[in-house]
Amino acid sequence: VPRLGLSLLGFRKGSQDAPRPRGAGTSTFWILALAAATLLLMGWLLPWFVEPFSAGVGFSPMDVIAGGPVSIGSILVYLLGLAMLVVLLSPAAELRARVRKRPIDPRWDRIRLYVVAAGLVLTIVIFLLYRVIQEEPLFGPVDSATITDSAVWLTMVGYIVAGLAYGARSWVTNHPNAAFAGVALPFAALIPLMFHQAPDFVFWAASSLAIYTLLALGLNVVVGFAGLLDLGYAAFFAIGAYTCAALSSPKYGLHLPLWTLIFIGAAVASMFGAVLGAPTLRLRGDYLAIVTLGFGEIIPDLATNNVGNLTNGPDGISSIDQPHFHLLGLDVNFATSPAWYYLALLVLVVVVIILLRNLEHSRVGRAWIAIREDEVAAAATGINTTSTKLLAFAIGASVSGLAGAFYGSMVGIVSPEAFSFSVSVAVLSIVVLGGIGNIIGVILGSFVLTFVIFWVLPGLNEWSTTVSKTVGVPALGNIDFTRYTYIVYGVALIGMMLLRPGGLLPSRARRVELESATESESLAAVQGRA
Amino acid sequence: VSDDVVTPAGAGTRRGGTLVDQRGLSERAHSGGANSPAAIQILRVLRLLYTFVQRFFPHILLIGIAVSVLLVYTSGGLTLMGEQTRNALVLGAIYALIAIGYTMVYGIIELINFAHGDVFALSGFYALIIGTSFGGAVSSLATGHGGGGLVLGLVIVFLATMAVAGFTGMAIERVAYRRLRDAPRLAPLITAIGVSFLLEGFMLIKYGPDNVPTKNQSWITGNAVSFGSVTIEWKQIFVVAVALFLMFALGAFVRATRLGKAMRATAQDRNAALLCGINVNRTVSATFFIGSALAAAGAIVYSINYGLIQWNLGYRLGIIAFTAAVLGGIGNIVGAGIGGFLIGVIYVFGGQLAGGQWSEALIFAILVIILTFRPVGLFGVDVTTRA
Repeated sequence: VPRLGLSLLGFRKGSQDAPRPRGAGTSTFWILALAAATLLLMGWLLPWFVEPFSAGVGFSPMDVIAGGPVSIGSILVYLLGLAMLVVLLSPAAELRARVRKRPIDPRWDRIRLYVVAAGLVLTIVIFLLYRVIQEEPLFGPVDSATITDSAVWLTMVGYIVAGLAYGARSWVTNHPNAAFAGVALPFAALIPLMFHQAPDFVFWAASSLAIYTLLALGLNVVVGFAGLLDLGYAAFFAIGAYTCAALSSPKYGLHLPLWTLIFIGAAVASMFGAVLGAPTLRLRGDYLAIVTLGFGEIIPDLATNNVGNLTNGPDGISSIDQPHFHLLGLDVNFATSPAWYYLALLVLVVVVIILLRNLEHSRVGRAWIAIREDEVAAAATGINTTSTKLLAFAIGASVSGLAGAFYGSMVGIVSPEAFSFSVSVAVLSIVVLGGIGNIIGVILGSFVLTFVIFWVLPGLNEWSTTVSKTVGVPALGNIDFTRYTYIVYGVALIGMMLLRPGGLLPSRARRVELESATESESLAAVQGRA
Repeated sequence: VSDDVVTPAGAGTRRGGTLVDQRGLSERAHSGGANSPAAIQILRVLRLLYTFVQRFFPHILLIGIAVSVLLVYTSGGLTLMGEQTRNALVLGAIYALIAIGYTMVYGIIELINFAHGDVFALSGFYALIIGTSFGGAVSSLATGHGGGGLVLGLVIVFLATMAVAGFTGMAIERVAYRRLRDAPRLAPLITAIGVSFLLEGFMLIKYGPDNVPTKNQSWITGNAVSFGSVTIEWKQIFVVAVALFLMFALGAFVRATRLGKAMRATAQDRNAALLCGINVNRTVSATFFIGSALAAAGAIVYSINYGLIQWNLGYRLGIIAFTAAVLGGIGNIVGAGIGGFLIGVIYVFGGQLAGGQWSEALIFAILVIILTFRPVGLFGVDVTTRA
């Protein structure tokens, strides 16, 4: 245990990490460039879509047209649009040059950087100007202009990302993880700022995103690092949630604070992880998957049948405590403002990422990968496969229990149907979509999938209702797009496995494997095992 | 080095047994705390227990079933026992029909076809569509024209549904599994889960989250025989008869026809079959066709007997049927049939004794226990000998 603790803190890295292959980070550049383009597009398009429906007046393209071409503000906006155009088109230009195998003029890099810097300055100027015109305080919350504000924030972040992508290209290529952290963290922290006037659902969605990210990170340890397909992962989530529910609700009259509960939840879940993992250790991959699936079905069944009166049966345990305390004179009440959940979860996700990254590059992490690749060889090199696999189960389960405890406190009621097989599959889809075994890929996957499930599908519902009213086709309005969730999971799993088995962002090791797949295939054919 | 030595599906074989010992030794050598005598004693007891369950699993299971039947008899008398036996046989026939699809596919390409249960549910909807299409002609034929009309209607529904379901199964294999046949084992399993969710999502969108009544439950009515106070309806006899007929037909097909021989050969060694000139792709397609068609037959008799179908019916029913396939020894067609009936008995009698809400948990527990202790099932072929 003390060794494991040191590994988690990153002290037992060893020096055996393979040197980074040359050019390994170029895909990071592309992702940054695409992210910048997306953010800018979103910032630009948001007012287009939302402004007509809201009462706020902002610097939307509508205003530019309505205000005439002479005002200073509109000229600035035009310039901004020009800068955006450069940022948006330059990846395309670069791709074109690359496809034609022509060298890119190095001057372009500098010009693009200037344009990006100018765009950033312009955005800030317009933002301040706008605040002055509206007679609002320069910084801090405003009453009316939510949409405009979020558009401005998105645009700013977009320019910063673009600056990273174009200006600090060599640095980004050499430090993809630092670059990712530098972009993702400010962005994640800015979400509450961007939507400070938005209704609570933004925070609920963002918190669900964080919880799914935690779950996916945990499953990634089991499936990605150790190569054990766990189809009953929701069971550990349920265990964490029920632990939290039982210990901080009127059920037993216990009211432990959430900060201790997340550790208790994680500990209980990891214990269950080891216990349920133990019988599966000797099983082959697909049988192991089915056994975990069996556990994943039994545990909600036990909860439904209210074993030992622990779970209140199908009704579940309700009125779970929500943290409420005073910090530095600030009244922190999780019940009234879900933003606190989001912030706390954000901190938790960052901590878990750091710990898991340390673990991945430690002795244990290398042992997992060795087992995943070839168990006999791993055992022959002196790895204790039994305890290493159990450790993977336990750590994966503990992250899930952590997420479960938070989920229980956040939702306030824990009932069995929230832990069905579809939760396990959702988390699996995230891992498969993002990139099995790659932490950053998994985060990207959770972002993409939760974005589709929680934003795009409900958004499509509203959109189709509006369109059906204007066009006069009632059938369109009757489509319930939220029912397409299962289709999304299915398509993600099948599409990824068939077309891009490494996921959106394959892990480095996996990429090397896939590149040398042709070699090993011919080898397998020779051995007659194809 | 082939991986079957390391991770035997048949941990029940002696090879698996020696492996256990080696693992235990290395574990003791590695972890400092486990060297104490108490820990060694505990490990020894656990290993004894493991070997015991592994070896005597069939006996334990059969004795358990016999005892539960007796318990039902003592608590509810002959009537209850008779009724529950009837229910168990009907349910078991349906499980058997689904289980055969699992076992055939696993036998031939070693894939747990996770989408098979959903093909079953989808076939229920196919049957609903076919029964009510042509202006309800089939339906009215089956209800209104006496015996001949009923037979004709049933033949139409069975043949059409089984054909459509078979082609669905073939299409699934072609799109989702064939390209991954030589990929790592978990890849096709993950796509199979994807296909399962795709089918469920499709049924949810098309038919909604509620139970859908199937209109063909009124086709076969009336009581056939009654023993004392236990009455058996015609439709219940029909379910079991259809299941038995199809299973024997399948047995004859696999035993006697050219394609059946090709299937057995492919299941034994795919590469050798390829060398002998067998079209492996076509054989695998045919396997999927037959498995899905049998599931479709199961779906029709299910809808005739229970009168309801639901978008996510295939998920849990699929796992239960998979348990039946594993119980009978995966890859073993006769075993899957027997396993289906056994699981039917366990489901019904276990539910009677412990309360209906425990039936499914009981089946899942059995699934976990079989896979952990005796993956070869009751009369399984040793899957580990296969490359």
